Amino acid sequence: MGLKVPYVTSYLTEHCAEDDYVSLAGYEAKGGYRAAKKALGMAPQEVINLVKESGLQGRGGAGFSTGMKWSFMPQDSDRPKYLVCNADESEPGSFKDRLLLERTPHKMLEGILIAAWATGAEKTFIYVRGEYAFPADVVQRAIDEAYEKGILGPRCMGKSFAHDVVLMRGAGAYICGEETGLLESLEGKKGQPRKKPPFPAQYGAFGMPSTVNNVETFCHVPHIVDQGADWFRGFGTEKSPGTTLFGVSGHVVRPGLYELPLGTPLDEIIFEHAGGIPGGRKVKGVIPGGMSMPVLPAGQLDVPMANEYLRERQSMLGTGGIMVMDETTCMVRASCIITYFFRDESCGQCTQCREGTGWLNKIVNRLERGAGSEKDIDILVDVAGKMEGQTICAFADAAAWPVQGMIRHFRGDFEEHVRQQKCPFSGSFEL
Amino acid sequence: MVISEDTRAAIDSECAKYPQKRGGLLPAMHLVQKQLGHIAPETAVELAEIFDIRPVEVMEVLTFYNMFFSAPRGRHNVYVCTNLPCALRGSRTLLAQIESHLGIAAGETTEDGRISLGHEECLGACAYAPMLRVDETYHENLDLEKANQILDGLE
Amino acid sequence: MPTITVDGVQYEVEEGRTILQALDDLGLLMNGVDVPHYCWHPKLSIDGSCRLCQVEVEGMPKLQIACDTRVSDGMVIHTTTDRVKSAREGVMELLLVNHPLDCPICDQAGECKLQDYAYEYGALQARTVEPRRALKKKVDLGPTIVFDQERCILCRRCTRFCSEIPATGELGIFARGDHSVIETFPGMELDNPYSMNVADICPVGALTTKDFRFKIRVWFLEDVPGICTGCSNGCNIFLGVANNKVQRYVPRRNDSVNDTWICDAGRMSYQEIDSPSRVKASLVRGEDGVLEARPYAAAVEAAAARLRRLVESKGPGVIAGVASAHLTNEDLAVLKRFLEALPTESAGLPVPRGEADALLVKEEKAANAAGARALGFEDAAPLVERIRGGGVDGIVMLGHDLLDPAYLGGIEALQKLDTVIWIDTHQSDLRHVAHVVLPGRHAAEKRGTLTNHAGRVQHLQPAVEPTFEAHAEGETLERIGRALGLTGFGGDPAAGSPTASSRK
Ligand SMILES: Cc1cc2nc3c(=O)[nH]c(=O)nc-3n(C[C@H](O)[C@H](O)[C@H](O)COP(=O)(O)O)c2cc1C
Ligand code: SF4
Ligand code: SF4
Ligand code: SF4
Ligand code: FES
Ligand code: FES
Repeated sequence: MGLKVPYVTSYLTEHCAEDDYVSLAGYEAKGGYRAAKKALGMAPQEVINLVKESGLQGRGGAGFSTGMKWSFMPQDSDRPKYLVCNADESEPGSFKDRLLLERTPHKMLEGILIAAWATGAEKTFIYVRGEYAFPADVVQRAIDEAYEKGILGPRCMGKSFAHDVVLMRGAGAYICGEETGLLESLEGKKGQPRKKPPFPAQYGAFGMPSTVNNVETFCHVPHIVDQGADWFRGFGTEKSPGTTLFGVSGHVVRPGLYELPLGTPLDEIIFEHAGGIPGGRKVKGVIPGGMSMPVLPAGQLDVPMANEYLRERQSMLGTGGIMVMDETTCMVRASCIITYFFRDESCGQCTQCREGTGWLNKIVNRLERGAGSEKDIDILVDVAGKMEGQTICAFADAAAWPVQGMIRHFRGDFEEHVRQQKCPFSGSFEL
Repeated sequence: MVISEDTRAAIDSECAKYPQKRGGLLPAMHLVQKQLGHIAPETAVELAEIFDIRPVEVMEVLTFYNMFFSAPRGRHNVYVCTNLPCALRGSRTLLAQIESHLGIAAGETTEDGRISLGHEECLGACAYAPMLRVDETYHENLDLEKANQILDGLE
Repeated sequence: MPTITVDGVQYEVEEGRTILQALDDLGLLMNGVDVPHYCWHPKLSIDGSCRLCQVEVEGMPKLQIACDTRVSDGMVIHTTTDRVKSAREGVMELLLVNHPLDCPICDQAGECKLQDYAYEYGALQARTVEPRRALKKKVDLGPTIVFDQERCILCRRCTRFCSEIPATGELGIFARGDHSVIETFPGMELDNPYSMNVADICPVGALTTKDFRFKIRVWFLEDVPGICTGCSNGCNIFLGVANNKVQRYVPRRNDSVNDTWICDAGRMSYQEIDSPSRVKASLVRGEDGVLEARPYAAAVEAAAARLRRLVESKGPGVIAGVASAHLTNEDLAVLKRFLEALPTESAGLPVPRGEADALLVKEEKAANAAGARALGFEDAAPLVERIRGGGVDGIVMLGHDLLDPAYLGGIEALQKLDTVIWIDTHQSDLRHVAHVVLPGRHAAEKRGTLTNHAGRVQHLQPAVEPTFEAHAEGETLERIGRALGLTGFGGDPAAGSPTASSRK
């Protein structure tokens, strides 16, 4: 019952259509754990340098340099150090980690083992979103197998290096994807993000130095170690090397996952790989990187999918979840869903976020019903502005940006609701 | 004691995986819910005792996460994802149809206690919309007919 | 010590403090430098969630929360820039989006930080037509506190208080986002010896004490600084006075005595001031053995007459003085002088005792036991023996603590005494044996000093005037001494004496 095979593969997803790739034997048959063996023969600092040189950026949304993050882990500390694998994937429009968990669990474990060696971590907690019951089972089986074969445990791959991996399931809260919310949840608490500083590298899981990385981030690592930084930089752009898994959803002919180099133009992904818009309709807007990222209008789809280009268009790569909306789509309705989501998922600590997400949602709902005014649209912009950049975590930004994006590019949709006092798009999806 | 010995043993082995016992709280709550279907206040008190915390702390955690229930549910928890990618592919229409098929609204339980229906945020199946989550299982690429078939097959 | 610049003025501050703590240390917070804040409280852990305290720090691109940003040498902070103002306005407006704005019927009006800050730093209303969150209006949280969920701004002061100060942790926040609500565990109550402090720290009218709720509008109250007399901790308080009546006690911050807290028992002890059990009249026991009301001066004369007769018949040594740990140092000094002038060496200090805790509450349930001991009064146990053994014929009894089970345990031993002069604020069984009864003054009704368990001398000033004739105990002793013609008791008892008690 796993995910369907993606339509385009590269190194990351190369074998993931093969059922036995999920097993340790199948994985090893395709060269699995070769990189780990190599890494465990290198000095940890060398591994970190290699990952730095590769230019790998985190694939969890923020795009921070992975090698740099690893180097923040204290080197000569006798406190236990931990890794955390963020498999909470809950960003609407994102489903890439699920594929990797279900189809390439050993690749992720291999990446984890390499990172553990590089950072000196004694344990990894894999935090899988609660709803991913099946992926969690697959990963747990892979962990058990890795223990049985001595890849994990007191002497990893025969080396005098001990590493344990623990899988925990979340319980349904988007905010547990935010790394410090995740840490709280891991500690058996509400997933309310922590104030920073201190950062996880000083005060992470259970108060110990920790590094949090995304599932996909870990999956790139064995390839980098195996084939080198230059090889890795052969994919993608200069500033954003490597491939990534673009998840395409919404109004396309072939929704799915496409492993493509970073920097692949958005229109190429939508029209060539995902088959374009069904029924010969036109595209209206595209959210390029998961729900937190501002929408792009039809005229801007030539953008290469890498942060350095998306930023110029006031958006971001995020998780690479591409949501395509065709010309029938009411952007006010889309905004209703977006604002509802953030309202529902705010952890509720910060005033701006707790009250702002609710207010945005109420105003958008009222506009959608045709009971709003021009002034409401300005209030939306103003409130979103006041939520931005002022809170404990980036969730409030993530809630504000999409609203700003919608009004930036589709203010007309909002104004038309005001003018007609109803939704003017009869063919739009239903609320 | 409502928490069974088996569940209790499983909780203990979960706790052992974490540097602090409390790390085992979410796993414990999943286990308890598996045994009992929900976590009633009496159960929360027992959990609090196991973890050496106050009952109110268990309650805070219980009410923070969507997947924990403080009140009894139907035998099956059925969710339709209604987030944007699914909605673009008709999930909200499907939910409305399921509601009328079952004769209940999202958030309610059928009279025979068979199904609790709900809507959920994105479940990581956006490309295979619309979808249903039935207990721990995803059903993807659905239409009303397939959905009804699945629902009617539930005990 | 790092030097920081706040709005153009340089200050030396302590290392490791946050900006708000540093301003608080300097006594400048909301008193020269205004950084409005909700979640931060000087005696609770830093929460950093309300986001109201944002300030501009040079060199940092984003606004920083003053409550959780540590000072560093050379830090330049601005609290009044447009960016800061706009951020505050934003927070204020967002807090008002869901606030019921029922100020006219809200008990907190007048000391509500939402009302005040909205007026100072934001708009009085949010630009919203949306229905506000509908929640429970009158939640009975326990024996002392009522909770209005709609008014709560989720600053989490109350939850932190309960987990950090009494460490009882009754309160939690259930659900998340804008569904978050403060609750207790189903069926459990907010019930701890310090519970009522949550009403003081709640910045809005969400938590109110059952005792004070709807009693009187706070702007009718005059806050008179004073000391709680419930135990020897000597917690600093404000007595809220209206119509010559103490309506409540609230804590007055003193970091070396009680931080910002008082215990519930101490808080409720204001009720003793205007209690029906006050000794309100001067009484003298007549020939028929019945106590009769007499003018104060006549009662003083009667007391002096009985004592004089006893001194003349048996000598002053048979008279014992019983000090009270409730009295001021000044009252006690007069008692000491009185006994020396009689002269008698027979004296004792009964100290009422009870449970102590690790926080504020002390075992000695009187405010000035330490002061009394410092004046040379020793525990009353030997005196009790002497009374039981018949070595005492007359007693000048201040207060009634000698009746405690730890001492006499009742009036039996006093029944055979020739003379019992009793000066007290509150009724007791002593009225069955006293020959003269003279009303005393409560600490809220007089000037003077109290020495707490740690030897700290703290000042009292009169907050209310008794509605009946009552004089400070020292003053009454002064008058009796003068009537007896004791040396040193010639002056005007009210004028020069430190026990002078009338309010200006
Ligand atoms: C609201 C919010 C939700 C997030 N959700 C996820 C998530 O589901 N998965 C994830 O890997 N990172 C998520 N992140 C990013 C993490 O905080 C963190 O940056 C990431 O896990 C680091 O891994 P990386 O460096 O490998 O990307 C989220 C961040 C925010 C602010
Ligand atoms: S920004 Fe929102 S989600 Fe993040 S900590 Fe604040 S309230 Fe919670
Ligand atoms: S009840 Fe008062 S103190 Fe408690 S969180 Fe609400 S506003 Fe803050
Ligand atoms: S601790 Fe003692 S002094 Fe303080 S409030 Fe309570 S009774 Fe009064
Ligand atoms: S939106 Fe329904 S699974 Fe993602
Ligand atoms: S006072 Fe600083 S965030 Fe609340």
